Amino acid sequence: MKAAMEPQLYVHTWRFLMVGVLCHLWVFGQDLTNVWILILLLLALACLRWRFALPLWTVVIDVCLCLVYAPYTTIGYYGLALPVFELAVRGRVLIAVLPFAILFLYEATPGLLFLFLLQALFVGLFAWAALGNQHSYKLEVDKQRKARYELERVKLELLEASESASQQAELMERYRIARQLHDHLGHDLTGASLALQAYVHMQEPEEARELLEEVQKRLERSTVNLRETVHNLTPVARIGVESLENVAQQFQYAAIRFHRSGDMLLVSAYQWTLLEACLKEALTNVARHSNATQVRVELQVTASIVRLLIHDNGTMTQPSLAGSGLRSLQMRARAMGGSFSISRDDGYLLVCVLPLSKEGAG
Amino acid sequence: MRILSTVQFTGLRMLRNYIVLLLLLVVPILLITVFSFILAGVETETGEKPLHGVVKIMVVSFQLFGGSIVMSYIQHEFFTAHRMRLNMIPIRKELYAFSIMMCGTVYSILLGVILMLYSQFALGIPWNWAWSIYVITLMAILSSIVCLIFALAVRSFKLAERLSEVYGVGFILLAGLFFPMPDNAFFDFMGSYGNPLMLAMLSIQAIEQSNAGEAWFTANILLGAVVLLFVLMLVLGRRRIG
Amino acid sequence: MTVFRFVFLRSFRNTTNLIFLTLFPLVCIFMPQGDPWPVLPYGYQLFGVFLLFVSIRLASYIQVDRMSGVVKRLSIAPLSHASYLSQHLLAYLLIIMLQCVILVYGGVLYGQPLIQPFLLLILYISYSLAALAIALAWITLFRNKELAFFGFMSFVFLVSVLGGIIVPVSMFPEWLARIAVLFPTYWLAEGQLWIVYGNELGDFLFVNVVLWLYALVFMIIGSTRKLR
Repeated sequence: MKAAMEPQLYVHTWRFLMVGVLCHLWVFGQDLTNVWILILLLLALACLRWRFALPLWTVVIDVCLCLVYAPYTTIGYYGLALPVFELAVRGRVLIAVLPFAILFLYEATPGLLFLFLLQALFVGLFAWAALGNQHSYKLEVDKQRKARYELERVKLELLEASESASQQAELMERYRIARQLHDHLGHDLTGASLALQAYVHMQEPEEARELLEEVQKRLERSTVNLRETVHNLTPVARIGVESLENVAQQFQYAAIRFHRSGDMLLVSAYQWTLLEACLKEALTNVARHSNATQVRVELQVTASIVRLLIHDNGTMTQPSLAGSGLRSLQMRARAMGGSFSISRDDGYLLVCVLPLSKEGAG
Repeated sequence: MRILSTVQFTGLRMLRNYIVLLLLLVVPILLITVFSFILAGVETETGEKPLHGVVKIMVVSFQLFGGSIVMSYIQHEFFTAHRMRLNMIPIRKELYAFSIMMCGTVYSILLGVILMLYSQFALGIPWNWAWSIYVITLMAILSSIVCLIFALAVRSFKLAERLSEVYGVGFILLAGLFFPMPDNAFFDFMGSYGNPLMLAMLSIQAIEQSNAGEAWFTANILLGAVVLLFVLMLVLGRRRIG
Repeated sequence: MTVFRFVFLRSFRNTTNLIFLTLFPLVCIFMPQGDPWPVLPYGYQLFGVFLLFVSIRLASYIQVDRMSGVVKRLSIAPLSHASYLSQHLLAYLLIIMLQCVILVYGGVLYGQPLIQPFLLLILYISYSLAALAIALAWITLFRNKELAFFGFMSFVFLVSVLGGIIVPVSMFPEWLARIAVLFPTYWLAEGQLWIVYGNELGDFLFVNVVLWLYALVFMIIGSTRKLR
């Protein structure tokens, strides 16, 4: 079917068809056997054009052959349809009209010959237009395809960048914690520990009491420091599972139940972003398109995967096309090596599964 | 009874063999048509039309090749593709082989009858239907048996195929259809009573000239050959298949 | 010329092929003379049909190559498709020419009335070129070797009848005689008529040119790796 839509096929077929017409003229005409050689030569040229892209000047051969035979046989005149066609296919309309001049040399009524050449010209021009269109469409399609590939590449790069950024942030954060613990706590605790060791060997009760007070002071300071550090480190914004829970709580259009299980710390930050986006998208869809009254959200984390399941009891079963939101989520899930699937069999069920990388979690 | 249920499928599979249809139906029809164009206006001094003879001999001579249908089928079922499967199923193999032979022969006869129908109604060749079909049946059975003998007697199927072609083309050559054979006792015999094609033609011609005695005589020679070769085929077949 | 050499070996390796390629020209020599037609002995007439069969048998090796993927594998070898094809065809042409020589030379030795044996040889060579090209173009149309062969067999039957090898063209009705000219076999019969009755060399050359043109046309069609 695809081959049948190819304009070039019709160009080739037309050439052979015209040779067939010449054969017909020969069989039912009164020409000598010698004329058969003209048809064979034209056929050979048509075959060559079918196999190879002959340069345009080769039509001169056709024209010469036809003109040589024209005084002896009408087939010579009719054969000119082939060069007319070749010229028209290449868009040389003005030159293609030139062979029409042969009409003045033709003794018999040139009506049929004129129509014959005219159809060659017309079919040739039509083929020219079709081939030209095909060419420009091909170029356009190539351009679009290139742009699409570019876009997809950028998307993947962005995903990678966000993953590495989250890892970077985590490392920075660990470093900050380590530094703060070292600066504030480490100093005092070490001092206290040394003082306690000295206290064991202390002889003077007065000095020992002072030392103990010092240790107590240091430990108190450390406690305060620890509380402050922990307080400073705790983020104000909701992250991870809390943000998901928050999204669920904010939802007012239907009753929502949120279950979670497993160790939430295994899930890295960039994965939370996707899970949150999934939940938001699903709930937005419930609010906008569904008649659901209950939504069940489950978040399960195991040692190797995290699975988010959103299930509602809506009864809208018309198969709406996966919107761009869902499609992009699907792409992102795939980019992370996970899967994203939707089922409409019993209510609306959305499942997103992401693998947990060992080093990412650690 | 089991054999009877396979007949339907044997028939279907034979009908689906397009090469056979091309060679034994389409080509003869085209050739007969071309000859009918060429010999359209030709008449001998006695008012006979050579076209009638040519068409009849062509219809009969294509029966010489009908046996290859049976041969290739038997080859496929008993010696190559389905050989092991046939060993597994509870079926009487010699009966199955016989049913294949009958199917092939009937199919070949059917093709002959189609050719006769075409020549009678499209080209106006008069046939003596009952007798011609009888003779064609004999020819088809003979050809099937001969080809089966080749398939059973020779190990290599390629050689058997070549032999069956030699059988067909050879008898056509010996009948002198392409060019006259040398004039001696051997070629005289092979151009008349020693040649199934000529026997069939003589028989058909005799019945057209209302010479029933001659017609029966030649047809009975064919029948004799069929019976004789059938016995030979049984002996070979018991060794190879049974 | 490695391909060339192996094509030879391959063509003669098969015993059936060997018998087929050598025996038939020998048989053709001893066939009788017809009266009043054909103008040359029957063997020389039927040799035209036989050449077509030889061509398809030889060309089917190319088809086997195409279908078994050898041609595809060759496309990454340092061997162009044109040289693959031309060496094959050259080898085949040589084999066929050998048969022509056997036929004509044997005929002269045996004493067949060949009138102008040398020109007859040239005619056969021109014709075998066309036959080879037709076989090549034919196998391009098919995927299955068997189907191609049997299809060609039917084609040969028709062409030899219509081209005036089995039945003289002079018996044909007017319109059929004109159609007969379209078939290459007609030109073989025409050339043979010239061998016996002709006197102007230009006419003989014309017949050969037509045969060469047929060879050219069909060779171009057959030179595609696959027609699709």
